[in-house]
Amino acid sequence: MRYYWTRFSFKYPQIIIYMLQGSEYKIEDYLKWLDRTNDFRQVIRRRKLDYTNKAKSLLILIWLTIIFIYVIAGYLLFQSIILANILMTVLSVFLFIISPLVIAYGIVIPLWLGKIIIQEPKQHKIVTTAQQIFANHPALKIAIVGSYGKTTAKEIISTILSEGKKVAYTPGNMNTTIGISRFALTLNGDEDVIVVELGEEKVGDVLDLCELTCPDIGIITGINEAHLSSFGNIDNTIATIFEIKDYLGNNILYKNAESPLVIKKINDNDKFTFSQKGTNGWSINQILTNINGTTFVAVKNNKTLFSHTDLLGTHNVGIISVAIDIADSIGLSIPQIISGIKKTKPFEHRMQPRRLRGAWVIDDTYNGNSEGVKAGLSLLKSLDAKRRIYVTPGLVEQGDKNREVHEKIGQQIAKVADVVVLMQNSVTDYIRNGLKSEKYKGKLIIIDDPLEFYTNLDHFVVSGDVVLMQNDWTDNYA
Amino acid sequence: MNKTVAVFFGGRSTEHDISIISALSSVIKPLELTKKFNVIPVYISKDGKWFSDEKLKDFSIFRGTGIDELCGKLKPLTVIFDGGMTIKKSGFKNKEIRIDIAFPVMHGPYGEDGSLMGLFRMAGIPFVGSDMEASAVAMDKVLSKQVAQANNIPTPKFIFFSKTEFNADPKSVIYKVTKNLVFPQFVKPAHLGSSIGITKVKNTDELLNAIEVAAYYDDKIIVEESIEDLIEVTVPIMGNEVLIPASVERPLSHDDEFFDFDAKYMTGGKKTGGAKQAGAQGYSEIPAKLPNNLYAESIKIAKDIYTAIGCEGISRVDLLIDSKSKIVYFNEVNPLPGSLYAHNWRASGVSSIDLVSRLVELAQERFDSDKQIETIFSSNFLKQF
Repeated sequence: MRYYWTRFSFKYPQIIIYMLQGSEYKIEDYLKWLDRTNDFRQVIRRRKLDYTNKAKSLLILIWLTIIFIYVIAGYLLFQSIILANILMTVLSVFLFIISPLVIAYGIVIPLWLGKIIIQEPKQHKIVTTAQQIFANHPALKIAIVGSYGKTTAKEIISTILSEGKKVAYTPGNMNTTIGISRFALTLNGDEDVIVVELGEEKVGDVLDLCELTCPDIGIITGINEAHLSSFGNIDNTIATIFEIKDYLGNNILYKNAESPLVIKKINDNDKFTFSQKGTNGWSINQILTNINGTTFVAVKNNKTLFSHTDLLGTHNVGIISVAIDIADSIGLSIPQIISGIKKTKPFEHRMQPRRLRGAWVIDDTYNGNSEGVKAGLSLLKSLDAKRRIYVTPGLVEQGDKNREVHEKIGQQIAKVADVVVLMQNSVTDYIRNGLKSEKYKGKLIIIDDPLEFYTNLDHFVVSGDVVLMQNDWTDNYA
Repeated sequence: MNKTVAVFFGGRSTEHDISIISALSSVIKPLELTKKFNVIPVYISKDGKWFSDEKLKDFSIFRGTGIDELCGKLKPLTVIFDGGMTIKKSGFKNKEIRIDIAFPVMHGPYGEDGSLMGLFRMAGIPFVGSDMEASAVAMDKVLSKQVAQANNIPTPKFIFFSKTEFNADPKSVIYKVTKNLVFPQFVKPAHLGSSIGITKVKNTDELLNAIEVAAYYDDKIIVEESIEDLIEVTVPIMGNEVLIPASVERPLSHDDEFFDFDAKYMTGGKKTGGAKQAGAQGYSEIPAKLPNNLYAESIKIAKDIYTAIGCEGISRVDLLIDSKSKIVYFNEVNPLPGSLYAHNWRASGVSSIDLVSRLVELAQERFDSDKQIETIFSSNFLKQF
């Protein structure tokens, strides 16, 4: 209640829309965020409100509601003075005081109605059409599932296969039923390969998406604690991701042997596991990685590929070996595969290096999992640097493993970084505990305003520094 | 509670605009990012009025006519000397801000030359950078060269004279110069920085014109012999007693005869040669590719003149190296280098934030140390009257 007055700010309507947008208009997530917010001045910190048509319409609706409430309250106050009616005065003040709550919770009603009346029937139609498109499409359909690394795997595989085949793939991290269905509507029918990324948030999701997309080949990129809050426990996560195995039956399913939770479910004689050592008979040797990329040699029988990718870190090599195996099996030549690998570049905000005032900054802010942290720290350790600077707010959605995961991250960071920059939030103390337990002796900086830090990074660095920025928290997690 | 640091910039100097760039890019933002200080901008307009407003921290206000409009709306500050220094902002609600530390970011006359430092001394508040005497000497090319000569620090041969002296008898001045110095020569206003009003001359006609140009900017003119086979380098130094040099830097200008104002600030220099860094002065080689002995000698000469002049906090020493004779000459000292030469410090391992933090610490250390010196003593003189 101490900060209730912050709801009377002129910016309050924008803040409400910002929260809706940040929750992707998911009513439950929005209400949770709303309930735990006290000081509304602190909500918009990392991003700005994107004035889409939907946002603009809702903003107008809120302002109209505010004006309506204030007019009623004003009228009641006016009448109360004329009629000397204390009850009306109280009612007027009460209406004024509760107006922010009416707006914040009331906005849910038109959203909910819109969802039931317009959105859901429309979506149902799109999904049905999409299912038919996938079922009848002659292309090789590759589905990618996992708690992490899906988008990177999709980009790598699509880039390499595009050297000799017509490839379509789900854009960005569009991996929900409606997102994938909309993608299906864009297909021409003449594609050779379709690569789809399947998202998962609850038990049954992967099987549902398999039934929608009808994949021929599957890839499990790895399993960890991501979305643990919605899965409840890790066994549910594992079972959900392995739903693809049930769907594929005897078809090929590549599984990441570098993910401990995946290994648990793999037979010793399974030749479709992948790692930095290779997959399905492909053996990877002589891996070298630095700020300019990664080189390696892939060999199978009489085929040898001397390869270079601009992607940073050895952790990408396993999935590249999968792409090599698929490319080889569908008839791409060795020069085509090498050329495809050469075209794989760091993706935006994923191990993306850039120069800044004589320092290197590796932007891995889209990474959001502990495996990525491990890979990032391993890369940071391997690079020559004046100072190794590691920047993170921590990971989101770690459920009841939150403390354990972040203490472990702190311990891992302590072994690598000369300077650690943490964004102040609910997990900062856990990471600090981890650093302490490893007797970290470097410099620790705690930042209150991440946006200010990111935009003024040039004032923090010196020539020769390597800065690794991992993970990013949107305001709804802060 | 965070200390209040007032950053003074702008000013009644030809280097007004450079000062704005230095203050906003290299001082105010990094000071704020330290989260240790309450940073107050104090902008001195070209006509000498003082203003303070949060909007003055934003570059965009200085583009176009924004600054004139803002200054038109704001009332100039009142400065109160209340055993310290307090600025009073008049307006709908008067606001008084007591300054704990002053950070002057002024280039040229009325700022870098010791004037402002004298004001801070009178107010009795710590301030960043060299004190009044050192600033005055450093900003006078003649005085600083005389200090160098007195300390056996090599410096190019020079002659100086006043504008009045030249106007009264130009022929005699020209004769004095040509008799004592050989061509080519540099003609410079004695007090200006940023290469303003400097001309390289090869004969008497050019000399006459160049003196007239220099006399337009200053009432004291210096003419010095040019060092041919020249390697021009500069060394930023930080410290009061213990001196920390940054890297020896070699500015890379276009093929013109020397590094003028345009090359320094307007064109961004020419992109040729080896490893380069974009900085306040276009492109440079950091560290300068010099033989080890010349590199070490450059650092030594820079430190020697810094100490001889009495610089404190930060300064940048410009040196001229005769690549044939291998002699390193002192050229001039800038008590407040443009943008603090943050690009060089960064290349030398000092971030912008660490740089400004350290400069504020040095200011406080000198202030605390000066307080130990007794300046008041009791006497019975007054009783005798």
